Amino acid sequence: MTIREAAAMLGAEILQDQFENSELSGGYTSDLLSDVMANAKDGGALVTIQAHKNTVAVAALVNIAAIVLCNNRPIQDDMLEAARDEGIAVIRTRENQFTVSGKLFAALKDR
Amino acid sequence: MAFLADFHNHSCLSPCGSLDLSPRVIAETAAAKGVRLLALTDHNTSLNCPAFAVHCKRLGIIPLFGLEATTQEEVHMLCLFTRLDAALAFGDFMYSIITPFPNDPEKTGDQVYVDENDNIEGELEYFLPSAADISLDALAPKAAEYGGFVIPAHVDRPAFSMYSQLGTVVSGPWAALECTRIPPVIVSAAGGPADPLNTLGFPLITGSDAHYREHVARRPFELDLTAEKLAPGGEADPAVLRLALEKRPAG
Repeated sequence: MTIREAAAMLGAEILQDQFENSELSGGYTSDLLSDVMANAKDGGALVTIQAHKNTVAVAALVNIAAIVLCNNRPIQDDMLEAARDEGIAVIRTRENQFTVSGKLFAALKDR
Repeated sequence: MAFLADFHNHSCLSPCGSLDLSPRVIAETAAAKGVRLLALTDHNTSLNCPAFAVHCKRLGIIPLFGLEATTQEEVHMLCLFTRLDAALAFGDFMYSIITPFPNDPEKTGDQVYVDENDNIEGELEYFLPSAADISLDALAPKAAEYGGFVIPAHVDRPAFSMYSQLGTVVSGPWAALECTRIPPVIVSAAGGPADPLNTLGFPLITGSDAHYREHVARRPFELDLTAEKLAPGGEADPAVLRLALEKRPAG
């Protein structure tokens, strides 16, 4: 499933659209960035409510392809700019981390 | 004349700090804006403090040395020391317990430490803002072992604050709470009106959290002190400083 297909499935708005629409390798759900750094999957999606540019910095370090922001969290202006620089997709949904993780897991579990 | 202090400044050693922001530039810019008591607080390291000490002395600024620690909970905490050697030792300790994840300067920025002439002496390998393997509860006693004290950073910010990580300000042996504005307010995630933040009666200060030259001394705070009272020999007296902080207004 590509990033854009995942966004459509989740009913998420694409907030940062300058990215390569790659196949998602999997996903990781966490709001603790040190935990993301230690455990997130290369080329995967990060499901989180941490809507600020530090999330992008960590995503860049561990090669996360897409950040999925939950609960319709408001975003700090500089986050999208940083994500554009790194070519990381940022999408946002009204659903919470539990629901988003369930849907993504069902879609990606056979990979 | 008001005695201005500013306890929160990042230099070129923090990956998010501007490469131009050497300890010299911080000290000179703050001095020009009337700051008398100034701290250098890079993420989880104090390695730019020796150069900072040289320039504070030259400019007649009373220095505080330290760092901005990231706890296991990813709460940012200012750890401050009046003595350079203590800050360096504590900085070595903090760097030894951060997540050993390599920094990528191309992606996240340079982490260089410099001498007093802004010459690069070296760079640090691990991504400095990473969480250190120490809890919020354990941090203040650990800093105290080295003769320092701690102040929760930007408690009213939506990232890396007590509020963002724990949902509330929690009690502890804090010398004060740092806010981006006084009184501190929280803008709810869903938007809407700002709510006052309960700061539990702690004295409040502001801090510049400078990452670029134009940030330096943007949010200093006043202390009821004189240089003669605080640092008769040039080095701040921690007991005098703590007493002055206790007199800061509470929320």
